[in-house]
Amino acid sequence: MRFNLTLDNYIRYGYSVGMTTAPSTPPLTPAVFHILLALSNGERHGYGIMKQVEADSQGKVSMGAGTLYGSLKRMLDAGLVKESDKRVDPEMDDERRIYYQITGVGAKALAAELDRYKRIVSLAQEKKLFPKTYGV
Amino acid sequence: MVYESTVRTLYKRLIALYPQGFREQLGESMEQTFNDLCNEKQQTKQALLGFVLWTFIETALGIFREHLLLISSGVIMQTILKTLGSPVLVSLLLIFPFMIMEVVNRRNFNEDFPFMLFFVLWLNLFAISLILLPIVRGRWTGNHDMANPVPTQGNTLLTNPRSALMISVVLILSVIILSLLDSLGWEPLERLLNGPNPEQLSVFGVRVASQFIAIVLLSIPVVAGIIAGGPIVSTLRAGGSLFAHPINLIIVVLISFLFAAGVVSLIVDQWPCFVGVPNCD
Repeated sequence: MRFNLTLDNYIRYGYSVGMTTAPSTPPLTPAVFHILLALSNGERHGYGIMKQVEADSQGKVSMGAGTLYGSLKRMLDAGLVKESDKRVDPEMDDERRIYYQITGVGAKALAAELDRYKRIVSLAQEKKLFPKTYGV
Repeated sequence: MVYESTVRTLYKRLIALYPQGFREQLGESMEQTFNDLCNEKQQTKQALLGFVLWTFIETALGIFREHLLLISSGVIMQTILKTLGSPVLVSLLLIFPFMIMEVVNRRNFNEDFPFMLFFVLWLNLFAISLILLPIVRGRWTGNHDMANPVPTQGNTLLTNPRSALMISVVLILSVIILSLLDSLGWEPLERLLNGPNPEQLSVFGVRVASQFIAIVLLSIPVVAGIIAGGPIVSTLRAGGSLFAHPINLIIVVLISFLFAAGVVSLIVDQWPCFVGVPNCD
C-alpha cells in the first residue's frame, strides 16, 4: 500500500507518464531507472552514480547534475532512495561525501520495472521483432 | 587555477538559486559532485569550457524546473486562485454604481449598453485590487493573528524580496521598452498592434486577436505589481512592517497609481454620459 502511495505521490511531483498503466506499478522515467540501477549493488555518492550510469549504459546515457539531483529529490521524497552516512571515498580524495542508498520501496520499483522490460522483450521475441529474426 | 576556482564559486552561487528546501537537502552534494567532475576533467586534461557551459545550462534548467514544480505543487497556485475571488468581486462592486447611473440616466436615448467601457473600467479596478488586496489582507492577518502566525513559505524566486524585485523591474522595463518602441513607430510592433488586419494577427505562425495581445500586454504590469508585493505580504503576515521592503512598495504604489489614473480619467471622460447628457462621447 505504501509502495503504491509513494509512487503515486512521486508521479504527481513531476514524473507523469504519457500512457495509461496499471496503477500499482507505474513505469519509471529513464533517469530514475538508471539511478536505481546504479544504486542496486551498493551505496554511491552523486559523482559515483553519474559514473555508474555511464558505465551501465556503455556511455550512452550521460546525466547532468540538474537531472541527477532533480530526480534524486523526487526519489528521496517518494522513499525510493535515502541518504546514507557521510564518509570518505577510499578511491578519491579525503573529502567526506554524502552517499545514497536504495530502499525497499526503491528495490520493488526497480524489480517491477525490470519485470515490465522482461515482458516487453518476451513479447518482442514472440512477434519475432529482433533484428536476428530478419537475418541482419 | 584561478579560472577553476572562479567556476566553482560561480556554480555554488548558481546552486543558491534552487528553492530553499532543495538547496538545503541536496546543495552540498551537488557542489561536491561538480567539484569531482572538475577534478576528473583536470586529471584527464579534458577541455573544461564545454563541460562548464553544458553543466551550467543543464543546472539552470533544473533550477527553473524545481521552481515550476514548487509553484504547481500547490501552495503558491492555491494562494493565487484564492486571491482572485475577492478582486473580481470588489472591482465589480466598484463599477456597479456607474452601471446603474448608465442604465438609469440613458434609458431614454435608445443606445446600446457600453460593455467595452465597463470591461476596461472593471479591468483597471481588478488590476488595482489584485495588487493591493493581498497587502491589505496581509496587514490584517499580521495585526489579528499574531498568536497563530502564518507559516512562512519556502524561499523561491518569487518570495525572495531581492529576486522578486528584480523580476518585477524586468517586467516593468519590458513594458517601458515596448511603449518606447511603439512611440518611435517600430514597425513590427506597429504591425502587431495596429494592423493591417488587427483582428487576425499572426504571432509565430499562430493567429491571435489583437484584443488578446492588448490584455497580455496589460497584464505584464499587474504581474509585476503582484510579484513586487509578494515579499511585502509575507512580511506583513509575519507581523512585520509595511515599509520593510521600500523599493517593492514604491513599485506597487506606482503601478497601482497608474491603473488608478486610468480609472479616474475614464470616469471623468465619461461622466457626462453617466449623468445623462445627450450626445456625449
